[in-house]
Amino acid sequence: MKYSYIKPRAKNAITPEVKLVLTFFGMTLLMILFTYAFLLFKDYAFERDLSEIKRDSASVKIKLTQMKEQIVFIEKENALAQGVQTRNLVLKDSITNLFDLVPSRITLSQAKLDKNSLILQGVTPNKDVYNFMLQAPLRSIFHRTYSSFYPTENGWLSFVSTNYIDEESSTQEEEPISEN
Amino acid sequence: MIFFESLYIKVFVNIVVGGTETLVYIESYSGKGVTSLREESFDTLRVNEKMATFIEKYADETPFCYVSVLDYSPSQGAIPTCSKNKISEYRDMSDSEYKCQDSKWTNYTSKTDLYETQRHYQEIGVDFIFSPFSVLAHFFKDKIDGRVAAFVLVEEDFISFAVFSKSELLYARRMAMKSDHIMEEFDASDATMDLDLDLDIDDAIDLDSVNVSDDMDSLDDFGDIEDLDSLEDIDEFSESQDVEEEFYQETDEELEQEDDESFSEDYQRFSLVQSSISAFYKDDKYESEFLENIYIADAVGVTGELKRYFEEEMYMNAYVRRISLGAEVSELARLEVLS
Repeated sequence: MKYSYIKPRAKNAITPEVKLVLTFFGMTLLMILFTYAFLLFKDYAFERDLSEIKRDSASVKIKLTQMKEQIVFIEKENALAQGVQTRNLVLKDSITNLFDLVPSRITLSQAKLDKNSLILQGVTPNKDVYNFMLQAPLRSIFHRTYSSFYPTENGWLSFVSTNYIDEESSTQEEEPISEN
Repeated sequence: MIFFESLYIKVFVNIVVGGTETLVYIESYSGKGVTSLREESFDTLRVNEKMATFIEKYADETPFCYVSVLDYSPSQGAIPTCSKNKISEYRDMSDSEYKCQDSKWTNYTSKTDLYETQRHYQEIGVDFIFSPFSVLAHFFKDKIDGRVAAFVLVEEDFISFAVFSKSELLYARRMAMKSDHIMEEFDASDATMDLDLDLDIDDAIDLDSVNVSDDMDSLDDFGDIEDLDSLEDIDEFSESQDVEEEFYQETDEELEQEDDESFSEDYQRFSLVQSSISAFYKDDKYESEFLENIYIADAVGVTGELKRYFEEEMYMNAYVRRISLGAEVSELARLEVLS
């Protein structure tokens, strides 16, 4: 104030029109900033989800590998079980056949069935019954058959029959079958 | 905020009251300079609807509109000091508002008139009120820093007389051409106004009371001044011209057309200035120096007779320069705002 007696009135550059424009641009800017912040958050959330999914994917891959290994193991177990079952069926049939082989006049006291051998203990009225009715079928099945007798108090004979199937012979016999 | 301000143009509304008219001079200013200006006179001394509409039309263009008024108080003047201790030697300032200029001189005005002026323009508001002496000093800023000279601002109703020597104010006086009718008209147009205007009629000079013959007698005192001998070096005052001045030269035809009233008014102006010069020489309070040159800022269109009066009757070199009070007030307002 160099020359005037009075000071000028305060001037305000922010007129109502400017206020309106500033409000409009301010709100627009706020909306843009809000959108930008929202997109940033969504981007962050997406990245976070992506990393989680990648982590889950890796975990699932590991689990998948483990499950495949388990499947292989179970398949092996299943095959083994089926083999055991088959063998059990074969054994059951063998035992049934074995007991079918034993005539009614001979009484078995012990039967010991092994993979390639069969040991029978029992009593027979005489050697002929044993030889004709039991040893003959056994010899048709086993490669080697050994029998030993000893008399009992009532005149019957206790016997021990030891029967073997040779490994080589059985393999040779099986090969033509497998080839077929 | 400064950034916002720079985006707006600035509108300077300048109001100059004179006679029975009010001149409204409007300048639009941008960073590049003055972009447009409008000037219109209204046959009223108050703000009527037409004037308010005219001003608001431009004021509404920007929030940075500055309304300036040239102080028309008859109770104003200037004193040649800024020292508060010395001011009282010249005038009792208890009822006056004053402002130091360049730390060299002080202009003052009546506080009551200042408030009254603000009240008159409260509808449009007032930002600046300038003293005619500030206008005079600024208008002749290229002259006041030189040798001692008298400077006169001729308005419709007032004459502001000042003597400057090397930018120092030696003497100043504000004189009314007629009775203080401006304030009277304001009073008349505002019947409800109870404000008691403190019109310093003592400072105004009633032309009826001016005895020209007495003042002419006082000129006899000039004979005691030895410097007057140097006037012999000046051959023809009527031919004196300052190439730097923009003279207001009138043709003979124009002179013939001027009526007696104009001559009478110019003679009244001359008489007032003459009495002021006499007071300047006589008053011991003021440091008087012999005046050879008088520079007249003509805001009303004086006749060539005024120049001739000074040259022939007071043996002074008179230079008349036309002044647009609206433009000068606007320039002061610009200086206030932009500096």
